Amino acid sequence: MSELTAPKAQPDAPQASLWKDAFRTMARRPDVIFATLILLFVFTMAAFPTLFTDKDPTYCIGRDARQRPDTWFAGEHPLGTDGFGCDFAATVVHGTRPTIVLALTVMILAVIIGLVLGILAGYYGGWLDALISRALDVFIVLPMLLGAILLLSLFRNGGSSGGLLSTVGPPVIALTVFGWMEFCRYTRAATIETKNLDYVTAAKCLGAKDRRIMFRHILPNAIVPVTAVIPTTIGGIIVTESALAVLGIGVQPPATSWGVLLAKGTEWAGGGYIYLFGIPLLLLIGTVFAFATFGDALRDALDPKLR
Amino acid sequence: MAENLRVVGDTLPGADLNAPLLEVEDLRVEFKVRGKRIPTVRGVSFTLEQGKTLAIVGESGSGKSVTSQAVMGILDSPPGYVTGGEVRLRGVDLLAQDEESRRTVRANHIAIVFQDALSALNPLWSVGFQIGELFRVHRGTSRADAKRRAIELLDQVGIPDAKNRVGHYPHQFSGGMRQRVMIAMALALDPEVLIADEPTTALDVTVQAQIMRLLKQIQDERNMGLILITHDLGVVADVADDVAVMYAGEIVERASIHDAFKRPAHPYTKALLRAIPRVDTVGRELEVIPGLPPNPAALPSGCPFHPRCWAVDPERCATEAPPYEEVTDDHRSLCHFAKEVYRDER
Amino acid sequence: MGRYVIRRLLQALLTLGVALFLLHYMMALSVQIRGNPALLFFGGKRTPDPAMLAQVERLYGLDNKCYERPGDPCLTPFVERLQDYASGDFGTTLSGNRDVGELLAVYIPNTLRLFMFSTVTLVILAMLLGTWAARHRGRVIDHSVRGTTILIDSVPVFLILLAYTYIIAVPLTQWARGIWGSESFMGQLFRPNYSPDYPWTTMIVPGIILGTVGLATLTRLVRASQLENLGSDFVRTAKAKGLKKARITVVHVVRNSMIPIITGIGYLFAFMLSGAVLTEGVMGIPGMGRMIFQGVQRQEVNLVIVGLTVSAVVVVLVSLAVDLLYAALDPRIRYE
Repeated sequence: MSELTAPKAQPDAPQASLWKDAFRTMARRPDVIFATLILLFVFTMAAFPTLFTDKDPTYCIGRDARQRPDTWFAGEHPLGTDGFGCDFAATVVHGTRPTIVLALTVMILAVIIGLVLGILAGYYGGWLDALISRALDVFIVLPMLLGAILLLSLFRNGGSSGGLLSTVGPPVIALTVFGWMEFCRYTRAATIETKNLDYVTAAKCLGAKDRRIMFRHILPNAIVPVTAVIPTTIGGIIVTESALAVLGIGVQPPATSWGVLLAKGTEWAGGGYIYLFGIPLLLLIGTVFAFATFGDALRDALDPKLR
Repeated sequence: MAENLRVVGDTLPGADLNAPLLEVEDLRVEFKVRGKRIPTVRGVSFTLEQGKTLAIVGESGSGKSVTSQAVMGILDSPPGYVTGGEVRLRGVDLLAQDEESRRTVRANHIAIVFQDALSALNPLWSVGFQIGELFRVHRGTSRADAKRRAIELLDQVGIPDAKNRVGHYPHQFSGGMRQRVMIAMALALDPEVLIADEPTTALDVTVQAQIMRLLKQIQDERNMGLILITHDLGVVADVADDVAVMYAGEIVERASIHDAFKRPAHPYTKALLRAIPRVDTVGRELEVIPGLPPNPAALPSGCPFHPRCWAVDPERCATEAPPYEEVTDDHRSLCHFAKEVYRDER
Repeated sequence: MGRYVIRRLLQALLTLGVALFLLHYMMALSVQIRGNPALLFFGGKRTPDPAMLAQVERLYGLDNKCYERPGDPCLTPFVERLQDYASGDFGTTLSGNRDVGELLAVYIPNTLRLFMFSTVTLVILAMLLGTWAARHRGRVIDHSVRGTTILIDSVPVFLILLAYTYIIAVPLTQWARGIWGSESFMGQLFRPNYSPDYPWTTMIVPGIILGTVGLATLTRLVRASQLENLGSDFVRTAKAKGLKKARITVVHVVRNSMIPIITGIGYLFAFMLSGAVLTEGVMGIPGMGRMIFQGVQRQEVNLVIVGLTVSAVVVVLVSLAVDLLYAALDPRIRYE
C-alpha cells in the first residue's frame, strides 16, 4: 500500500534535513531538555570545578573527619567531610573531571576505531571484511567489563604518579580495546547499505577515488547510526569504570573518580555515613540516566519509523 | 467441489437474496492524526451486482484502498475511523453489526487480495498453513483435510506441482506465483464478493496479464462480484463492467466501462484517459495531468479538482462544491460542467 | 538447513579458538613485559631460591623460554594449555592450592541458577512492559514505561546490590523474621548474603536484581518488534481472513516478534556475565563471577583467565543457540 509517494530528493539534502529534523524533535521533548540540563551541569563541573567549590580536596584536617552534612549546602563543609576530614563537596566536584574525561576519551577512541574498521570492512569486502568480521566476533565474545578486568589485572602496576594521564590511562586503554565493536558493526552495515545506492555507483562510474567516496558519501550515512548509540555508550562506560573502581583496578587513588568515591563510600555506608555513598551514587545515576534518556530520544529522532 | 463446502456460515442472517449483492452508501472515513481529523473518504456510494466487475480507479491517496478496507472492516483504528454511511451485503448493513459477526463475514462473504503479496503473506508460515488456516478456523476442518483443500486451491489458481509447493514458504515463490497464492487464499471459503486491491501493480507486465485473466476466469466460474481497485485505467479496460473514478475521497464519475472510455463526463477521467499510451496515438506526446493530487488535510475549496482542471469557471469551481450530474441513465459525474464535458465542448 | 548448521558450528569453533588464543596471548605478553607471576607464590620474599622458582614455574607452565621474549605468541604453551583444559586440568589456586576444575564443578551450577532467575525476570518484565507500551504507543503509559526502564537500567546492578546489602537488607530481614520466623522462606529471602543452606531462596533477590541488566534495551526491542508486526501487511491479511484477535496475536504476531527478542537476549547474556562478577562478589555467591572477583583481588591471573575462558565458551554457545533458534523460527534463513 504505497498511498503516499514522496518525490526522491538529492542525496545530500536529506542528510542535512535529517539532523535538523532530529534536533527540532528533540528540542520539543521535556525529558530531553531535562537531561540536557543535567549533562550541562555535569560538564560544567568537570570543566570548571572551582565554580562549585573553593576548597582543595587534598587539604584534609583529621579532627574534622566524618562531619555529617547537617547544614546541607551551606556552612564550612556543604556536604560534610569524609573519613580523613577532607571536604566532601570538593572531593565530589573534583572527581567529576577524571570520570568525564575517561568516558569521553574512551568513546572518541572507540568511535574512531569502529568507524575506520567498519568502513574498510564494508567498502572493500572480501578478505578484509572477513578478517574484521571475525575479529568482531572474537571481541564480542569477551564482554567489556570482563575484558577490561583481564587487561587491568594482567598489567596492573603498583602506584601512579598522580597525573591525569597515568591515572586514567590504563582504564581508558582497557575499555577502548573492548568497546569499539558496536560502532564497527553499525558502520559496516551502513556502509554496505550505502555502497550500493545509485548515487554512490554514479560517483564511482564518474571516476571518484575510493577515499573520496568513503568520506563524502559513505561516512555521512554511517555516522547516523553511530551517533544514535553514542550517548548510551558514554553512560555504559561511566558505569563500567565505577565497577572497575569497586574492584580496585580502575582509576587509581590518590586520583578520584565517582567510581573510586563509591568504592570508598560502601565502607562507610554500613556505618551510618550513607551520604558518603549516596551523593556520588545520585550523581552517577543522574548522569547515566541523562545520557540514556538523551540517547533514547536521539535514536528515535534519527529513526522516526518507530516513534 | 465448491458446492459441498457451502455448509457453515454461508448464509448471512437476515440476508435478502433479492437485494443487490453489495451496496455502499455515503461511506465516510476520517483519519485522526495528532488531534486533527482528516477526511479521507467523503461520501462514497456504489453498487455491485452478482457476477459483475466494478473498477475503482484513482491516483495514490484518492481513498480507494481506504474504501476497500472500510468495506472489509479492517481499517487500522487508530488512525482510521468510519464516521458514516452504510455497507449493505444482500441488504444487511455490515457497519451496524458487532465485531464478531463482522469477523465471520470476512473471508466467508467478502475476501480481499492485496497488492504486495510478499509482505501480505506471513514469511514464517508455509503457504499451505496460511491457506489451510481459513478452513481450520472457520470450518473446524482437520489439519490433513485443510492441507488437501489448500492443494486443490493452489491447483485451481494455476500453481504447478501444487502437492509439493503447499509446504513452501512465501519467499520461495516468484511474484506472480505469490499473487496466485494470495488469490487462492481469498477464494478458499468461496466468498460472494472479491476485492482486488491493485492486484497486479507489483508485477511484471506479462505476469500482470496472466493474473488479470485468472481473476476474470475465476469470477466467471464462481459468479462472484469483483471490485478491482487500480490506478491504471488501461488494466481494467477488458475486465470491468463498470467504472468508478475516485478523486480526493469522492467518486467523481460513475459509468459503464464503455461510456467511461467513449464519452467521459468528468475532466479528471478525460485526463486519465489521455494519459494511457495507445496504439493509435503513437507519435503523439502523452498528456500528463498538471499539478499533484491534493493533500486530504487541506483540500482546495469548491471542487477539489479545480486547481488542476482546464474547464474552470473561476467563480463557481473555486467556491461551490459540484453536484452529481446525471448525463445519461447510470452515468453520473461530479462536475459543474458534466454535460459540456460529455458533449466534448470543454 | 544442514549446511547452515555446519557452517555456523565451524564459525563458532573458529571464534572460540581465536578468543582463547587472545586470552593466552595477553597473558603471555603480561608475563613477558611485567615479569614472572610465579614470584607471587613466594609472597613478599623478593628473591626466592632459583631451584624453587623453577619448580613453581613448571607447576604453572611458565617454564617455556618464550615467556622471556616480548611479543612471542608462545604457541607451544597455548597448545599444552588447551590439552590441559580438554583433560579437565585447569590448574590450582595459589592461595589454598585447590583444584580449579573441582571449583568449577561447584561454581558453574551456582551461576547457572543465578542466571535462571535473572533471565526469567528479564524476559517476563520486558515482554510485559514492551507489549504494554506498544499497545499504548505515544501515550502516557508508553512514555512512563520507557522512562522507568531507562532509569532502572541507568543504575548499575552492583550499586543496586550494594545499596541493597548495606541499607535495605538488614532491616528487611529483621522485619520478615519477626513475622515469619528466621527459618521460613520469607526469613531467608531478603538476606544480604548467599547461604549454602538455602541455595535457592537466597539466590532469588540477587537473581532478580541482576535481571534488570538490559531491561531498557530488551523492552525497547519488544515494543519495536510488536509495533512493526502489528502494523504489518500480513497482520492486515490475517484480519481480512476473519481470524480472532487472540489467534492473530499468537500465530501471526508473537512468533514474528520472537526473532529480534531472542537475538536481544543472546546479546544481553554477555552483559549479564559481567554483572555476575560483581553480583556474586558482593553477595558472596560461590560462582564463576565471584571466582573472577577473587582472582582480581588476590592477583591470581589464572583464575581470571579460566573464568573468562568459561565465559567465552558460554557466550559462543549461547550465540550459536540463538542463531540455530533463529533458523528454526525463520524459513528465510533456513533455506538460504
